Amino acid sequence: MQEQIPEEFKISPSLVFYMVASMQIGIGILGYQRSVTKYAYQDAWISVLLAGALLHIIVWMIYKIAEEVNGDIVTAHEYVVGKLVGKTISSLFIVYFFIYALTVLRSYIEVIQVWMFPEVSTFWFTFAFMVLCIYIIYGGFRVVVGIAFFGLVIPSYLFLTFGYNIKYADFSHLLPIFDTSIKNIILGSYQMSLTFIGFEIILFFYPFIKEPQKSKKWAHFALLTSTLLYTGLMILAIAYFSELKIEKSIWVTLTMWKIVQLPFVERFEYIGIASWNLVILPNVCVSIWVASRLIKRIFHLKHRNGVIIIALFMLIIISFIDTREKINVLNNFTGKMGFGFTFIYIPLLYICIMIAKKVKEK
Amino acid sequence: MKKIPFMVLFLLIMTGCVQEKIIDEIDIETAAAFDQLKKDEFIGTILVQDYLPDKTIINKVFTTEGSLRRDLLLNIQKQTSGDLVTGGLLITIFGDKLADKGIVDFVDTYQRDASIGSRNFLATSHGSALEILKGDYGPQGVSNYLYTLIEHNINQKDVPVTNLHIFLRDFYIKGKDPYLPELRRLNKTQVEISGLSLFRGDREAYVLPKEKMFFFKLLADRHSGEGSFDVNIGKGRKSAVRSIRSKHKYRLSKEDRSQVNIQIKIRGEIREYTGIKLTQAIVDQIAKKLEKEIEVECMKLVKHFQKLDIDPIGFGYLHRKSIRGYDFEKNWKKDYQNLTFKINADVKILETGVIE
Repeated sequence: MQEQIPEEFKISPSLVFYMVASMQIGIGILGYQRSVTKYAYQDAWISVLLAGALLHIIVWMIYKIAEEVNGDIVTAHEYVVGKLVGKTISSLFIVYFFIYALTVLRSYIEVIQVWMFPEVSTFWFTFAFMVLCIYIIYGGFRVVVGIAFFGLVIPSYLFLTFGYNIKYADFSHLLPIFDTSIKNIILGSYQMSLTFIGFEIILFFYPFIKEPQKSKKWAHFALLTSTLLYTGLMILAIAYFSELKIEKSIWVTLTMWKIVQLPFVERFEYIGIASWNLVILPNVCVSIWVASRLIKRIFHLKHRNGVIIIALFMLIIISFIDTREKINVLNNFTGKMGFGFTFIYIPLLYICIMIAKKVKEK
Repeated sequence: MKKIPFMVLFLLIMTGCVQEKIIDEIDIETAAAFDQLKKDEFIGTILVQDYLPDKTIINKVFTTEGSLRRDLLLNIQKQTSGDLVTGGLLITIFGDKLADKGIVDFVDTYQRDASIGSRNFLATSHGSALEILKGDYGPQGVSNYLYTLIEHNINQKDVPVTNLHIFLRDFYIKGKDPYLPELRRLNKTQVEISGLSLFRGDREAYVLPKEKMFFFKLLADRHSGEGSFDVNIGKGRKSAVRSIRSKHKYRLSKEDRSQVNIQIKIRGEIREYTGIKLTQAIVDQIAKKLEKEIEVECMKLVKHFQKLDIDPIGFGYLHRKSIRGYDFEKNWKKDYQNLTFKINADVKILETGVIE
């Protein structure tokens, strides 16, 4: 059922860390504080921690599913509902990852347009970005993983710059702790969907991991890293701004950069946003790779052609999303879609697999 | 490898995608001033500094009138030779009449504009703001001069820390009012910090005289730097005490929630003494005297703020974070008027200079 991946295309287990972390850290981190504080106020960081903790269960389920069928999600679907229906369900995820890549890329272009160059053409930027992505994906899966590695390591220096904010931060803004109702904290956690999704790709590249057993701890470690990062930035934002100011800012993390003062650059955001291109790159590359791999698995189309088709669709559709309003709708939709997939569909699939296993054993 | 020429070509095409801005051909707005002209009409001034090859700086001032801030900017664009950009803004001054009417509309454009940093200063002026920009304060240029004037007074002297970010933070926090330094033009070549404008919301409500700023900084600034203060212990013996660091702590009294306990700690040194001999007894006397003075003066300040119903220290916010589920909107107005204060100062003089 599952095609065998040759040994030379597989990646070592520790690289799962970079895949998961770089896929999670993307566009959501630039402004997630706002939507969470809307519900949980000064306790928003608890929401972030809670969401991060719950995701560990989902990752555990993902590994269970993958181990049970010894393959990716397409195999899992076939295992549960058979070949035809399974492939139909699987093909939905082509759209899922397409929309994911679209959201990330369009939101990033919006940031460029608002913060740096209003004249940047969405179409041409996407065109250039797609050419780069195609080039990377043509290099094979291991190159994609390499980009994920660099996309996480190189821009990590950016987090040092938040030291400037600590000077102006007043951590008493976090008081009183636990003043928000449990319901609001959970609502806040729900708002984290868009920021946290991305780790579910494990379910799609599982067959490519050498000794997948060993990669488990790396996946959990990646999740822990991003959770701590989000929590830290959340606490910092609450301490640095006041609540109404967070509510007004669309890109809270970017606004925090406005205080950075370096002798050689007046506006640090320009460096930050330009570096963010590297953070975005693995997000888009990996999701396009997953989408095109799904095309290959389901429709037996050549991987290379699948990539081109997706890039073309991207170019056409991205031009239609031109206002803040539409981008916001897209972001919210992707958040909901991610929530639905990770928190509803994966547990459901897990249960189905367990039932199917029991039935088949008999 | 056929791809490489294609890629190079591509990179070349991409460079043409955004409008270029050459630093010699743009005008960088470094300071701005706004005054009220008539009802709903403003006069705005923008200062552009031109750096000449021989390292001198020319201050170019553009003035225009309009009823919206956007109008002002558009009109000024018509006067400048280069494209006017806002990324280098250092200071903005609001005239006193304008500050009385509210400045939030002006500040709003500042937070909306992605290219304006959070570190630039806002200030009010005693009299016309325009006149301050029209002065000539030496070779470093007007805007740099005004910026460093405020900056060093924050770092070393008794102006409490302020910038665009802090103004907005205080403005958007429930239970705290912002403050801004006030500038006054003395003559064509001199300008001074004449006090501190305290706001109610975004409207100037009171100007704190500069003599009181030392005490205000003790109350308002978290990390108070060096402020200096004269202590007179009688018999013609005067001394100047410089605070090296100070800390304050606000607590709502455990027994009585309507009492605020304010603890002020100062570590300082004596810079100047006009008596004959400076003994330990006299040092203690000076410290005691300063403690007393701080307690009395700070009490006067907070009582005065209470009477004016302004809250630059943030007692309202203190209530919100100390009392769980405090209904700020409903109770604060009444609670503030019933608030009592207890101030306890602790001055320790560490050094008395290099001679005895």
